[in-house]
Amino acid sequence: MTVIKLTTQAYCKMLLHAAKYPHCAVNGLLVAENQKRKDGQPVLCVDCVPLFHGTLALAPMMEIALTLIDTWCKENKYVIAGYYQANERIKETRPNQFAEKVAARIAENFSEAALIMVDNSNISMGCYDPAISVFEHHDNKWKCRDASIDCCEDWSEAQKIMSALLEDRSYDSLIDFDNHLDDLRNDWTNPEINKSILYLC
Amino acid sequence: MASVSDMYDVTWEEMRDKLRKWREENYRNSEQIVEVGEELIQEHASKLGDDIWIIYEQVMIAALDCSRDDLATTCLHELQKQFQGSHRVKRLAGMRLEALERYDEALKMYNDILQDDSTNTAARKRKIAILKAQGKSTEAIRELNEYLEQFVGDQEAWHELAELYINEHDYAKAAFSLEELMMTNPHNHLYCEQYAEVKYTQGGIENLELSRKYFAQALKLNNRNMRALFGLYLSASHIAASPKVSAKVKKDNVKYAAWAASQINRAYQLAGHGTKETKCSLKAVEEMLESMQIMPS
Repeated sequence: MTVIKLTTQAYCKMLLHAAKYPHCAVNGLLVAENQKRKDGQPVLCVDCVPLFHGTLALAPMMEIALTLIDTWCKENKYVIAGYYQANERIKETRPNQFAEKVAARIAENFSEAALIMVDNSNISMGCYDPAISVFEHHDNKWKCRDASIDCCEDWSEAQKIMSALLEDRSYDSLIDFDNHLDDLRNDWTNPEINKSILYLC
Repeated sequence: MASVSDMYDVTWEEMRDKLRKWREENYRNSEQIVEVGEELIQEHASKLGDDIWIIYEQVMIAALDCSRDDLATTCLHELQKQFQGSHRVKRLAGMRLEALERYDEALKMYNDILQDDSTNTAARKRKIAILKAQGKSTEAIRELNEYLEQFVGDQEAWHELAELYINEHDYAKAAFSLEELMMTNPHNHLYCEQYAEVKYTQGGIENLELSRKYFAQALKLNNRNMRALFGLYLSASHIAASPKVSAKVKKDNVKYAAWAASQINRAYQLAGHGTKETKCSLKAVEEMLESMQIMPS
């Protein structure tokens, strides 16, 4: 079974999104490079596009976001490879029907798509543990992957940088698709945050 | 650690006014409120006059959001000293217990308030909030419906109900709650737009047509609502593409979709100012609109 891994940039932006809106549910997409992979090579999610916060389970804006980001992906030789969601309640870590639907839609285009649920209770300044659970599609169901499998390409780097970003309150400047819809000048590719992460690497 | 007034070069009056703005517009930027409010309370309490009590309340709630129980308790104690026996302060004490997940004790506080005053809406709403926090969505919805039978004009409650229904994927009931809001707030473009989104999510030609109408209505109320513009484009495109509609309906919707598409393009161009990133966005939007283009038959 192909394994999904995340780069530091993908992991950090995802958690920054959750940290920016602690009182809301948030969701977003993960993208991977569109290239032929050898057998056994993991799918590497290189970036994350934060989508919405608050009321997630409505279709129209999700459709717009998926289409627009799909086009952006094609231009940058990426492919949408996964969907993440952080639920509103701290103890709720299971994906809901909407999450499964979106992930299934992504899987139609990319068979090894992953559904990632953010574990809110594991988000801390020290970032001691990876704060996510990865779900994979088996026999029409989404099953949680063994937590002992490393989810990040380089966990110690991700941990160090995530901690620094949280200290800096970088989440204040994170732009999600909702922010973009509020003001088109807001850039959901987050180039400034990408630069900060690169600088910290 | 530099003070807020040093870092941002603001006076205490500006800090107090900012807090008022956030209070009046119901912002939940708790970290900022704590930062500004704590300094205001510690350094400038004597200058605030009677404003200080409402600031204590605002900062206390923000402190609960940020797990600053120390600050929350300080504010609570000041309020308890000043307003002994007040229900409003008792509700705040209950909220602190909620933040500490001591729900049973919090419930007892709210029930005490309600025994004294059965019409206290704040206490009733906190009880529903506890159900929501505990994940008991069905009970929360039931209690909220009962509450609304009595307090039919409570906008905040209707909106909360709509969101609870959306999270449970019960779009029909969510639509009903939003209809209540639209009736009492006919000029609010956000309710129109959210109603249209719910209708679209429900699916089916009739709901799509309704959704298109309400996206259009939202645009009429606020012609800069991008969600309404995108929604109009999507719903019109889907109706035009459906095999179940007449040729006239198809033709009309192709027109609506084309108009919306040109408006979307224009909006992106206006926002673009020719910067590199937005050029890329603009191209992506153009291609997206092309890829969704419905060929008139």
